[in-house]
Amino acid sequence: MTEQERIQHIMRRPINRRGFLSLMGASAGATALAACTSPAGSLAPSGTAAPSASSGGPATVAPSFEIETELLTYNWSDYVAPENIETFKQRFGVERFGYDTFASNEELIAKLQGGATGYDIACPTAEYVAGMAEDGFVQELDQSRIPNLAFINPRFRSTSWDPDNKYIVPKDYGTTGIVYRKKLVPEPVTSWKDLYELTKGKYSGKTVVVDSMGDVFPFPLKLLGYSLNDNDPAHLKEAGDILLELAPHIHSADSDTYQVKLANEEALLCLGWFGPIVDLRADPETEDTAYVVPSEGTLFWLDTWVLLTGAPHPNAAYAWLNFIHEPEIQAKETESNGYATANEEAKKLVSPEIVNEPGIFPPENQLATLEESFDHSGVQQRADIWAQFKSKIGG
Amino acid sequence: MTAVAGTSAGASPRREAGGGWRSRLLTAALVLPVSVWYLLLLVLPLAIVFVFSFGVRGPRGGYTPAFNLDNYANVFRAVGIDPFINSLWMAAAGTIGCLLVGLPLAYYIATRAGRRKGLFILLLVIPFWVSFLIRTYSWFLILDPQLAVAAVRDLFGNPDFNVLGTPWAVLIGLVYGYLPLMVFPLYVTLERMDRTLLEASKDLGAGRWATFRQVTLPIALPGLVTGSILVFIPMMGEFVIPQILGYGRTFLVGNALYLDFLEFRNWPAGSAKAVLLILVMLVTVTAYLWFINRGRRVREASVL
Amino acid sequence: MSAPAIPAARTGHPVSRARPVDRLGGLVEFWFRGHTALVYAFLYLPIFVVVLFAFNGTERRVTTWAGFSLKWFEVALNDTVVQKAVENSFWIALPNAFLAALFGTMAALGLQRVRKGFRLGYDALTYVSVIVPEIVIALATLIFFSSSLDIINPFLASLQGDAARPFRLNFGRETVIAAHVLFNTSLVLLLVRARLSTMDRTLVEASYDLFATPWRTFRQITLPALLPAIVAGFLLAFTFSFDDYIITTFTSGPGSTTLPLFVFGQVKRGVTPETNAVATMMLAFTLSMLLVGQLVLRWQSRRRGQKGSVAGIVAESAG
Repeated sequence: MTEQERIQHIMRRPINRRGFLSLMGASAGATALAACTSPAGSLAPSGTAAPSASSGGPATVAPSFEIETELLTYNWSDYVAPENIETFKQRFGVERFGYDTFASNEELIAKLQGGATGYDIACPTAEYVAGMAEDGFVQELDQSRIPNLAFINPRFRSTSWDPDNKYIVPKDYGTTGIVYRKKLVPEPVTSWKDLYELTKGKYSGKTVVVDSMGDVFPFPLKLLGYSLNDNDPAHLKEAGDILLELAPHIHSADSDTYQVKLANEEALLCLGWFGPIVDLRADPETEDTAYVVPSEGTLFWLDTWVLLTGAPHPNAAYAWLNFIHEPEIQAKETESNGYATANEEAKKLVSPEIVNEPGIFPPENQLATLEESFDHSGVQQRADIWAQFKSKIGG
Repeated sequence: MTAVAGTSAGASPRREAGGGWRSRLLTAALVLPVSVWYLLLLVLPLAIVFVFSFGVRGPRGGYTPAFNLDNYANVFRAVGIDPFINSLWMAAAGTIGCLLVGLPLAYYIATRAGRRKGLFILLLVIPFWVSFLIRTYSWFLILDPQLAVAAVRDLFGNPDFNVLGTPWAVLIGLVYGYLPLMVFPLYVTLERMDRTLLEASKDLGAGRWATFRQVTLPIALPGLVTGSILVFIPMMGEFVIPQILGYGRTFLVGNALYLDFLEFRNWPAGSAKAVLLILVMLVTVTAYLWFINRGRRVREASVL
Repeated sequence: MSAPAIPAARTGHPVSRARPVDRLGGLVEFWFRGHTALVYAFLYLPIFVVVLFAFNGTERRVTTWAGFSLKWFEVALNDTVVQKAVENSFWIALPNAFLAALFGTMAALGLQRVRKGFRLGYDALTYVSVIVPEIVIALATLIFFSSSLDIINPFLASLQGDAARPFRLNFGRETVIAAHVLFNTSLVLLLVRARLSTMDRTLVEASYDLFATPWRTFRQITLPALLPAIVAGFLLAFTFSFDDYIITTFTSGPGSTTLPLFVFGQVKRGVTPETNAVATMMLAFTLSMLLVGQLVLRWQSRRRGQKGSVAGIVAESAG
């Protein structure tokens, strides 16, 4: 059999720690790295010209990486498919897969800044990673140990968040847009301007915004035609004026139960995310709930895997980071999470109804309007506007 | 600083008979654990907060050493003193609500329940072993405008009637969440009430109200004071219940602190607000206790 | 008119227990009973809803009813993550309650013997511990712990020479317990002191006059008199710890996720009825333990010819 077939044959056997080692030692050159990729996919990266992360250099993974028996992760709730965890544990002989949860990026960062330690891998949103790196909370990745990164859509590599791809392994991405009850809001809702007009006017008191400064600021900024990362004081003032003007007309700032409010018609419009309304769509009474990426553009967020500094089990961590991007595994993630995957190969294996859902995978023509958002929590003017906005909500 | 503002002058000489140093040793041993805890987990962390309040926000949040008073100067800059006033109103209303609901309950359990006292007390706390969030979400459901509230609406023909999002929903949530903190202190004091006093009072011809005012209330006072403090103080910092049930329509001290520490990660600014809040509340509590205790002369002798 | 008060030196409670406290008029009595019943109905209404929705056959969202189903119980029983969370919650809350009850009672007794100046200082600290907003103390405690660990762990490591995996202190259950004990000790302290202030010192004096040792006096007079406050404090401390979110979030470490952390984390993705199922099972367990205890004691006491009950025992110790 060819080298390729031999490797695929080996890959089909369950690999324990020793098997991994012998496999690493067994091949030489680029083939060894390619052998780490999924048995199902082709050895070469997928159609789009992706600079292979594994290209070049001999397969010097020679120092034996004994995979520890534990892996401690710190993640959002329900963000990894349980069957993938099981597969990982069995394949790599990891006995204990710790899964602790946090409820917001802010909690994660605050904990890290307060000195919390002990985890291997965390799952922050990309805009915080640069800051985490500067503070020394995340390690630089040894890309050669994560050859499956080759499958990532190049759009999500070398992002402004991490231009040299030093820290981020992309996980899921999505957008922040407008959610509304089509049946009850007959007017067209396609832009931030529509949201502005409707909130100020006919549907006053029926709009909910998520309780997140970073997700709400793009609304007035894009409405005014500025970049959502614009920190020019004059522009921020204009945006602030819009927010303060709307504040009395806003129903509430609520990231967690806006889907309930949409369902019981307390609110008809919402500046929010797609994820929570999946259930609304499944229910015949509320299936008219629609998600729109506003025409002026909006932010897209990227959730990422990072390797924390001082990770007690780095080898298991690398094994996981590579494992999770095997196309089949990643496809299972998408099916279970309902969020868009950054892994192009995996996307091919995901069911069409998810892939074709514009709320999950933004269509090509919209991708151009999406902007990467950065962490502006330190901009005093934004902070003041946000505090004032929140204090004036509901009149 | 309970209602007993006494001295320990009543110590019987017999208790000193064991030798001054042995007595002092016992005292020291008794207060040792709480001293260690207060020192390490209260004083030191608060010292950290105090130091932070003079600092500057780190470039990515957190704290950078500095020494300036900007944070204190800026406490009221963005949103004024409104959050504090709002919290005051809310805490006051919540405390009164807890009192109205809790005092009769504590009285009943302490004096009427007989053998089932313990059961009543246990049943009082068991609901709180169910996670706070799903308890609050249950209220969210109970008060859902499309369900029971809609029925009330139809009944009274008032289309604008709503509970969620109004201060009433917040009040319900607050009383619900803080009731044990009011009932327990009241219970432990009322329960010790010497019933013969009440009998005697009756025998002497006092009416129910007079008996209550002159016999029951003074005995319950320590519990009342403790309960009201234990309810009012935490309510000043409460913001989750108002956020969920009141739709966050009032901006409170808790909101401001949360924004500083988590959303903006501006620990120095948050620390300054916290230090101010602690000082103000400490003064308030001291004033409250002094007011309650003036004119009360109780000799507090050691029971050990 | 009334039976003479029976001094019961053992419990320090000079009253015959079987008689109601004061005979108020029938209407007032009725009002009291009604109020109590309403309050308990109020307390248990959301609990009833929680239990009801544990049987909700919906796919995800808890707030619509989609038929009766037991599937979420099945999910909960198979979910090791939530089980670990419950376990952590329990094994954090229980030691915390014991420590808080012990330390708080000791402190309450000791503070009576302390000079006034010191006592005021302790009182101030007690109230400060209640006043400090949770987010502030949580973050500050985290910083304190991590700074301490940064000092302690290298020291420990140097003591262990070149052990392959040196023992080190980490964030985990212990740090959470330590953080919880602070507030809960203050709570117990306040409750016990409130109780102490109502105590009849003459009994203590009498005990000494009868040449009882301090320890005996404590055991037979003081402790029984304080027991309701101690038990109440224990229950409150347990409850607070079990249900705490903010302090636990910041002081916990890998593997010490508690039930509230789990539930709050679920909010972003949607709280499922699994949480309701877990709560229902916990309630069922607690209530059945209560019932079993009740029945066992009643059976036992029937054998001895007395009436007894769990509530009775608690009530007995509650004075």
